[in-house]
Amino acid sequence: MSSDRRDGEVPALTEDIRPGTATDPDPGSDAAATVTVDGTEVSVSEGSTLLDAVEAAEAAGRGTPEGVGGTAAEVPALCHYGREGIGPRSTCRTCVVETEREGLVAACSHPATDGATVRTDAEQAAEARSVNLDLVLSNHNLRCTTCGKNGRCELQDAAIDADVEEPRYGVLDDRSAYEPIDDSSSFIQIDRNKCILCNRCVEACNDVQVEGVLRVEGSGADTRIGFQSGVETMEESTCVSCGHCATVCPTGSLVEKGIEDATTIQIPGFTQKNSVGKVHEGSGETKGPMTPKKGDGATERQRASEAERETANARDAAAEERRDWP
Amino acid sequence: MNDTDERVDTDERVVRVPRGHDALRDAATGDSAVTVHEVGPTGVGAVDPLVTATADGETAFYVDPGPDRVRSAAAALADGERAGNAGSPDAVVDGDGWTDALPHAALPGLDRERHLLAGCGWRRPASADDHESAGGFVDADAETVRDAATDLRGRGWGDWRRDEPVGDLWTRVADAGTADPVVVVNAHGTDRGTTADALLLASAPFEVLEGADAAARAVGASEVVVYANEADAVAVETVRDAAESYPDPAAPFSVVTGPPVYRAAEPTMALEAVEGADRLEARLRRPDALPTLGDGRASDGRPALVHTARTLGHLAIALRQNGDSTRLVTVAGDVESSATVELAADEPLRAAVEAVDPTGETEAACVGGRFGGLTDSLDVSADPDALAGADLGTDGRVELLAADRCVLAFVGRAAQFAADANCGRCVPCREGATQLADLLRAVYDGEYDAAGIAELTRVMDGTSACDFGVDAARPARTAVARFDDHLAAHAEGRCPAGSCFEGADTATDSATGAAATDGGTPGVPR
Repeated sequence: MSSDRRDGEVPALTEDIRPGTATDPDPGSDAAATVTVDGTEVSVSEGSTLLDAVEAAEAAGRGTPEGVGGTAAEVPALCHYGREGIGPRSTCRTCVVETEREGLVAACSHPATDGATVRTDAEQAAEARSVNLDLVLSNHNLRCTTCGKNGRCELQDAAIDADVEEPRYGVLDDRSAYEPIDDSSSFIQIDRNKCILCNRCVEACNDVQVEGVLRVEGSGADTRIGFQSGVETMEESTCVSCGHCATVCPTGSLVEKGIEDATTIQIPGFTQKNSVGKVHEGSGETKGPMTPKKGDGATERQRASEAERETANARDAAAEERRDWP
Repeated sequence: MNDTDERVDTDERVVRVPRGHDALRDAATGDSAVTVHEVGPTGVGAVDPLVTATADGETAFYVDPGPDRVRSAAAALADGERAGNAGSPDAVVDGDGWTDALPHAALPGLDRERHLLAGCGWRRPASADDHESAGGFVDADAETVRDAATDLRGRGWGDWRRDEPVGDLWTRVADAGTADPVVVVNAHGTDRGTTADALLLASAPFEVLEGADAAARAVGASEVVVYANEADAVAVETVRDAAESYPDPAAPFSVVTGPPVYRAAEPTMALEAVEGADRLEARLRRPDALPTLGDGRASDGRPALVHTARTLGHLAIALRQNGDSTRLVTVAGDVESSATVELAADEPLRAAVEAVDPTGETEAACVGGRFGGLTDSLDVSADPDALAGADLGTDGRVELLAADRCVLAFVGRAAQFAADANCGRCVPCREGATQLADLLRAVYDGEYDAAGIAELTRVMDGTSACDFGVDAARPARTAVARFDDHLAAHAEGRCPAGSCFEGADTATDSATGAAATDGGTPGVPR
């Protein structure tokens, strides 16, 4: 540590972390439970969800002549991570199963209660997973041929497993709607056009690394991953380049620099960085060992006065009615 | 004599003027022989602002009067005239049976039974004395309250127990000895300016607070939080005044506001707002647990019972009248002005329409709030089972659609609103609403995919994380089911309401009966 650092320059460990997400209840069961999944009875421990039961049934059936678990494998649970205390965010709803007691539920966030009966192959559950997967694809930039995660992308895997050939609602292919690729950081590139808002990166950043850099911001179609310090680019943010966000990202939205073209088709001039035509470049400035501080840990909205906040709220309310029809 | 918190003397000569109308109040004030009370709105737009003059048990009604008319009425009353002779009233009710409730009068919306709304336009909203005179502050023990709540169903989409009985939940909470629960009165519901919850806060806040206080007793709550829309300034100020003068509450009241966005009324987002979240999104729900109110950490939170102002107001009435079976319905849309009236649960919704003046022949209605169901019949009753059976919403709002109001444009706007106003959390709602709006937009281009709309709305309804997405599917789903021909006509370039295509030739082919296909370009429908 430099001895000539000014007072107060060391980030406080008690820094306010505001990930922009709701306070969810713990999704796990209160006790160990026996659950029947597609006719297979499995036991799961305390703290389990129905997705744990579905995965247990799949494991139990793997390699058997009956192939039990084949239907369980049809549950993509795309946004689910299941490690390191990350999730369930339960946003994508591609883990929907039918339960005897409560009808359709998201398996990843539903407690496994004793005696529960689950069908993954119920018609409405299969329809829901299929529609929801297509809805995820509808807002995803499907330029896989320039994507550094081509071939190791969980969305791509889910789409292939589900035999998606032509998504019902198309894919994000409106160049005017593309967000610029944030190439400003020396370590991590962000392509929000590929973000499925699974929130894994936000939880890795806040709950695991306790860095308080990333957050969810906005609402409706404007919902996006942003920065708690209110800045626009990764370079300006308080990121410490730990890389955990890129590790947990299921798609090519957060990729470590240097491998963002690892699987790009080898055509000269054809890169991930120029794939959407808009880029936030880095400033080129040499950085010291310390990252910028988050200041008082508040976004612009939090720092605002009461009057400014109310004005912003009123603007949000007006935005709800902003679109003409048709 | 001016407004006081003293008990109403039935021998008094009283002019009641609506709060916030200073010119009317000043016009009525001046003679010590007349007492002026500032009261809340009646909830019926056709008669608000309403001034009444009462003497010797007779009450004269003045609909939207100017100061001169109020001045002359007050002067006549001061001179000892009968109320009915004072200043050409719009209606007069005689008899002295009306000391604590707005008399039934031959005026729109006021000619019917009012229980929860009885004090609206009559009692001083923040006067505990007026509420007590009307039989309020019933001294019921916890068990009595839980019994009274057995048949009480949660009102509105802001209630954690929407359409479900609340009593069994309260009994479970009480029996489990749940530590330190908190009652949250969700009065946020914002729906284009007219909501029954905001009306109750502004005009009958003690009914709501009494219900909340009783609920607190029923579950042993340590705090009651009243949560309202920051845009409803009068309602917030009034309920704050009432809470401060509430006699011996079982648990302390606090009043908190949330941002004026639609989603902020959803019960879990209401809790997020009360906790001070700077971004509102829905929480996941556990089927077996109450949501919590804390400092942002679920494990530290207190179990929260989130009920709307309507639900709790109806509880107060149930305790006082030994049962309550009415429902508040707000009629809006293509009407001169909206009205909130009280229907018996078995009364058809069309009865509520008598309180409004439609601006044209009504061809359809959206029943059940912002994301209600489209129907061409209001013969269904206000009972939640009947409404659910007809795939209509239960949020106590009926929006009338005049003959020149296009159903496709109406449900398209609802879908676009859902796409713009959702919290952004779950895919079936966030992306589903966007795609639903696009599917409806495509109809104008000749692509009417009824099966695709049905499939998408099924998934939104069945898999969204909260009731925003569940409900957002309803307008389009019911329009496809009940107004299929209307939607299909647009795919052929024809709008049956005559409002969607600029320069359109809407005539049909005389030989084939088919619609003309040269529909012009989509304009800006009403």
